[in-house]
Amino acid sequence: MTIDDTPAVRISDLGKTYPGTSNPALTGVSLTVQPGEIAVLLGLSGSGKSTLLRHLNGLETPTTGSVETLGLDVARQKGRALRELRGRVGFIFQQFELVGPLTVLENVLTGSLATRRGPHIGIRSYPKDLRLKALGHLDRVGLLERTYQRADTLSGGQQQRVAIARALMQDPELLLADEPVASLDPESSSQVMALIREIAAERSLTVVCSLHQVDVALGWGDRIIGLRAGEIVLDTTTDGLSKDQVMEIYGRVAVTTTELTAITTELAEAREQVLSAELRRMSADFDADGDRQ
Amino acid sequence: MTATLGERIAKVPRPRPRASTITAYAVIIGIVVLGVWSFIGLEYNFQNLERTIANLQRFFTSATPLVWPGFDSNKLPDGTVEITFQGWGAVGNFVGRIAITLSIVLAGTALAAVLSIPVAYGAARNTSPHPTVLAACRGIGVLARAIPDVVLVTFLAYLWFGAGTLAAIVAVGLHSVGMISKMMADAIEQTDEGPATAVKAVGASKPQQFWSGIVPQALPAWIAVSLHRADINLRSTVILGVVGVVGLGYDLFQSLHAGPAGMRRSIPLVIIIVVLCIIFEIVSSVLRARLLGVRPTGRGLGDLAVRRAAAASPAVATFIDRGAPKAAQNARLEAALHRPWTRERMQTTTWIWLAVVILVGAFVFAALDPASNWAKLFVWRPDLLVNPALDIAIWPPTFGSRDFGDVLAAVVTTVQVAFAATLMSAVISAFVGPLAARNVAPNSAVRSFFRVFTLFFRAIPELVLAIFFIIATGLGPQAGTLALGIGGVGLLGKLIADSMEEVPNGPERAISTVGGTRLQVFFASTVPLSIPSLVSHLMYVLEQNIRSATLLGIVGGGGIGFLVLNALEARHFDQVIAFVLIIIALVVVVESVSVAIRRAVR
Repeated sequence: MTIDDTPAVRISDLGKTYPGTSNPALTGVSLTVQPGEIAVLLGLSGSGKSTLLRHLNGLETPTTGSVETLGLDVARQKGRALRELRGRVGFIFQQFELVGPLTVLENVLTGSLATRRGPHIGIRSYPKDLRLKALGHLDRVGLLERTYQRADTLSGGQQQRVAIARALMQDPELLLADEPVASLDPESSSQVMALIREIAAERSLTVVCSLHQVDVALGWGDRIIGLRAGEIVLDTTTDGLSKDQVMEIYGRVAVTTTELTAITTELAEAREQVLSAELRRMSADFDADGDRQ
Repeated sequence: MTATLGERIAKVPRPRPRASTITAYAVIIGIVVLGVWSFIGLEYNFQNLERTIANLQRFFTSATPLVWPGFDSNKLPDGTVEITFQGWGAVGNFVGRIAITLSIVLAGTALAAVLSIPVAYGAARNTSPHPTVLAACRGIGVLARAIPDVVLVTFLAYLWFGAGTLAAIVAVGLHSVGMISKMMADAIEQTDEGPATAVKAVGASKPQQFWSGIVPQALPAWIAVSLHRADINLRSTVILGVVGVVGLGYDLFQSLHAGPAGMRRSIPLVIIIVVLCIIFEIVSSVLRARLLGVRPTGRGLGDLAVRRAAAASPAVATFIDRGAPKAAQNARLEAALHRPWTRERMQTTTWIWLAVVILVGAFVFAALDPASNWAKLFVWRPDLLVNPALDIAIWPPTFGSRDFGDVLAAVVTTVQVAFAATLMSAVISAFVGPLAARNVAPNSAVRSFFRVFTLFFRAIPELVLAIFFIIATGLGPQAGTLALGIGGVGLLGKLIADSMEEVPNGPERAISTVGGTRLQVFFASTVPLSIPSLVSHLMYVLEQNIRSATLLGIVGGGGIGFLVLNALEARHFDQVIAFVLIIIALVVVVESVSVAIRRAVR
């Protein structure tokens, strides 16, 4: 097996139950992502997308099953080796997670920490070639003129682009993005999604991105993996998907008939309770009137 | 058959009061009962009020006319006092002693701020590498808070005999680690974990995550706490004069023991100390307000300096030529390597360098003091610690000639002083606090008056108050109680005012809309809503008072502090250790009870 044949991600029978909870966050997830693939994890919030992504760079440890990222068993990597693996995997967060009080440039520079020894305080503590490289990435995401601004003074879309520049600083082989546009307005969303796609093409990156909007996912990814309640319920390429199939996917991924029925029942019960409370109050008022007479 | 209204009212379920409510009222009742018991135990009576007034009269007669630093006085045969100017050299010497006092405070606090970082790293739940490290670091904090700095100074001055003010700096530093590390650990626990996780996700090591992801977020809190601590240290360093550390405190105690000529110097010294404390408090609170994001007025000293500098240098060039072609990208990036000197950057740099210069200056000034000797800090003398031949060695601890009953009685006195003082502060603050709150005071003039009133009492070092009351009532726990009780009004009054201003004002408006008077609004809305924070502030003040009561004993306020003083004066460190262990136990007990109560009322 040559390096090129190694899948970027290979998950087998992954299960995760958070301590102190009874419902598993993930059950029996098996998945392989080939190098160069642009895959979308589609599902509602709470369906296990984030948990799945966080297993890929060792931010979570599996309860059962195994996760291999870039050919390495993540759970077996410790200390230095785990840090090296994380350095090869870029991660983009829903809430951007920039260090607010630091400048934009220093935030981008933190992307190179895996290759550096010891703590770094201040821009000058990074060598000049790294600073130039970081500026190049900032230029790439179109934010060079914001270099020395505090990160928390930028708009959401700009912060996410800085976060992308930080991920680029790692020279990643695999890019993970956890709902990268869920906190952004539509215009910034399309900018950020387009940027990720362009960068992936430029560097022939493997991308695994979680999303909850079906329309965004269809127009963007090459492959869609649908998750519901911690299980994979769909795995297909987006090539030649018809409108009908889209609707069917939406039904399967988002709201099923059973879920709809459950919601209707719940609403009816709530209405019942409000009505009976109203009735009790009215009869009480009536009694009070009787007392007065 | 329907029930009558009366019957139905009787049947309305009354839920059991919540545990937090019960605790809150139990604490209030407990403090009142224990406070009254303490007043009785300390044998207060108002019969000797007459004697008190006579004492004060006598003091003021001997202390006037005031003799300011740089002057000397001489009583002439005809009974008048002649005041002579000692020359500018004497004034210069005095300014030097103000400078040495400030150096000890600033250098000690800076040392504590640096030492606090590793302690806080270990004591914060989200960064601590291991539960045992967590426990150890929290233990260090409690220990540092519990050992009075005056005990540390004496001990270090003994261990490093001849190290001079450096021993004081180290002592102030070690003692301050207790408070700064605790608040820094809280700040670290409150940081957003997202950015730290992001830094972890790029493959950063634990120290890198801490320095790049957490420290930038906790930095403002760290500086603010350190400034606040510097403020406290300035007031508490006065006591170091008792054990011979040069500075204003030393001058004050010298003057009190130098006959009538000294007495005449004492009041000006007190005035200078208080004014210095007030100026320092104002400067530190202005700096803290700036750090915590309050918009600057643009009229500060730093602003002025920056504006001058900006006017002198040519306009700052923008570093990006946006019209440049793609081929020139390298040149653009090279240009972007140089951070432009914006107004903001100049301002920040000015402040940082100013702080560095002041702190380095403080260390250098203290080190240049003729009494200081750096070399002594690195001489290790185990024979001074354990040496059966020496009476003064430290191990094993002993109560000396006292039996356990004596020591216990002293502890009870200290506790009584703390409780009586807390009750006294609470009663006075019950009036002062609300009147200093914006939403309670009848008008802004009243509020401002009481705000300044509390500021003034916070600024007077407890020790100065204690000396005043010792002069008035004589040596003993009564003086200590009065000093803590009156001084506590400054703190408790401010805390009460703040917590009343923080209550949601919706209910207040609702009650005034239905026609409630100011007093009705106060009792129906403001008080019940602020009870939980009032109780936790009361516990905080009690905690502080326990600590201070031990200290005031050292200047003659009685209790366990008096035993420490006796042992210190005789250099019986084996006894000092024994008494300090008891103080630590006392502080730990009170702190854990206080923490538990504060958690329960929340």
